[in-house]
Amino acid sequence: MGTRILTVEDDERIRTAVRFALEDEGWVVDEADNGEAAVEKFTREPADVVLIDIMLPGMDGFELCRSIRRASDVPIVMVTARADTHDVVAGLEAGADDYLTKPFAPKELSARIRALLRRARVSTTDSPLIRIGELEIAPEQGVVKRGGDEVHLTKTEFRLLCELASSPGKVFSRESLLEKVWGYGYFGDGRLVDVHVRRLRTKVELDAANPRHVVTVRGMGYKLTP
Amino acid sequence: MRSFLRRGLGLRARVVLAFGLSGLVLSGLLATVTYGVARNTSLDQRTRSAERQFIDNADLVGESSRAEDTSYIDLLQSLPQVAGGQSIANIPTPEDRWVAPGGLTPEDLPTPLVDIVGGSDGAYLMRYSNNSQPTLAFGIKLLPAEVGYYEVITLNEIADNLSSLALTLVLAAAGTTIAGAMLGVWASSRILSPIASVSSAAQAIAAGDLATRLEPRADPDLEIIVDSFNDMAAALERRIARDARFASDVSHELRSPLMTLRASIDVLDSRRHELSERSQAALDLLSDDVNRFQRLVEDLLEISRGDGGADIEVSTLNLLELVRNVTSFTGHDQIPMTSDDERHQPLIDGEKRRLFQVVSNLLDNADKYAGGATSIRVASSRDYVTLAIEDAGPGVPRDERQLVFERFARGGAARRRGAGAGAGLGLALVAEHVRMHNGSVWIEERLDRGPGARFVVELPRSEENDEA
Repeated sequence: MGTRILTVEDDERIRTAVRFALEDEGWVVDEADNGEAAVEKFTREPADVVLIDIMLPGMDGFELCRSIRRASDVPIVMVTARADTHDVVAGLEAGADDYLTKPFAPKELSARIRALLRRARVSTTDSPLIRIGELEIAPEQGVVKRGGDEVHLTKTEFRLLCELASSPGKVFSRESLLEKVWGYGYFGDGRLVDVHVRRLRTKVELDAANPRHVVTVRGMGYKLTP
Repeated sequence: MRSFLRRGLGLRARVVLAFGLSGLVLSGLLATVTYGVARNTSLDQRTRSAERQFIDNADLVGESSRAEDTSYIDLLQSLPQVAGGQSIANIPTPEDRWVAPGGLTPEDLPTPLVDIVGGSDGAYLMRYSNNSQPTLAFGIKLLPAEVGYYEVITLNEIADNLSSLALTLVLAAAGTTIAGAMLGVWASSRILSPIASVSSAAQAIAAGDLATRLEPRADPDLEIIVDSFNDMAAALERRIARDARFASDVSHELRSPLMTLRASIDVLDSRRHELSERSQAALDLLSDDVNRFQRLVEDLLEISRGDGGADIEVSTLNLLELVRNVTSFTGHDQIPMTSDDERHQPLIDGEKRRLFQVVSNLLDNADKYAGGATSIRVASSRDYVTLAIEDAGPGVPRDERQLVFERFARGGAARRRGAGAGAGLGLALVAEHVRMHNGSVWIEERLDRGPGARFVVELPRSEENDEA
């Protein structure tokens, strides 16, 4: 059975056209035309990736995003008609891993999905366990512990943490994180990195407002400090 | 002359002139009246005291003339005189002679006075000018000896006092005029300061800062202007926002059908081998125009976003690095690129997405109209970073160099190439983005004077320190 994608979109024409195109790309596509149906479908049969249109009747895309996020760390790609507004940041804060703007090329979506499904990069050191202060990261198992307790990260948050942990103390620019974690180039949206760093902090930091590990280097990027 | 005054003098000058003239007229009038009153009063006083003295003296002379052997010279010498006064007497017997202890001569006396005194009884007084000096003369014929007694008083002292008063008054009038003019300057600047703030606010609105409003003023006279100006600005802002929102809503509404078109075309494209040659050609046409349509919708959205007054998300960027990324991203990396980043790094504060569009739209424009860009140059000075893109196309006629940056305005040269060439928003967006970055964009001749055009974008250099 191939990788299953759940597309949530209320416009039937778009849903159908996108399904055809995604099936051509080799994905197995499941559909829902509203948020409630999507939650029900996802609970019954979890997908590998969820594609959510923000503008949904009833339960909107953000709500659906949060609802799925509570139950699963499945990669979520959000589809928005407006890249300029706060929709993007709100969607990312609701738990989406990436976003696309309508109209997107199905090939671009496939590339995004493949990037999100990549496994975390194994650390450059041979050690199976990376320790950063009270954090323990096991890239192979996809597990992070803080003071012995497991911290639950989404796949993208985990890959971001592993990337930073591959060279503790080194400053990573937004561009390089976009490339390594999301597969974007120079013109990727820096807000992806910023919002994910914020999300990561709420999970791995004792006090997310005063981060000790995931530190911002003004004008340059981010670094991980013990 | 009138129209010159109307046109040539501004409100400020007119107010100053009016205040100055009023000051001059009022103070001049006041000075003239003051001078006249002072002159009359002091002349009258002087005349009265001289007259009293003259009558006393005349009585004495009259008494003495009754004696036979009067020494007139001693008598006259002994008489008290007011300041500037001298006496002279005409003694008819035994022989006609004039006696004057102070050296007066009969020529100093006005002839009419001598005539009238000689011909009648009574005392006479006359004001006249002796050797161009204001002079007062009294005369009387004393009976029975028929002695003519005269006193002559020069009024030099009064004249001196009056002329120094006149000087003081003229100076005061001049001072008042200047003070009036200065009051005019102050008043006109008070009047004009709200006008100046209205004009600078109007300029700010014209320059695109639609949120500009005038400060409310306590003055009820100015409140009307301020309120109506602010209402107008608010109405303008609402209207522009509504237009921008409409364009934005339209573009968003168009995105959904475009999504279906885009995905369906991709489905068809992956099955092109199942299609006849004719269908494939039709699919290509469809695909190309959907791309063009999509581009147009996105550009329209971008333009309406700028009209809606969106802010740019600024970060410090290296323009050279950005341009290299654009050329590799859009497949223009074969274009020769030069830079001189020896002394100043080409750092700018800008938004990556917009600057991407600036560079890629300029490269697109060169592709469409000039057979592609021939060189790209990034240079930086102390204050600016410039990007220059040259092409070897037909160039842009001088009178169209502004026009091509307008929305949907394609150059005449472009129009001749047929309608399929471009969407017409690319360069407008370039201008829009550059403007939002406080920069400027223009077209000039190629540096080597060869055929073609040189598009120059100039952006303010970032104030972040060089990390050289």
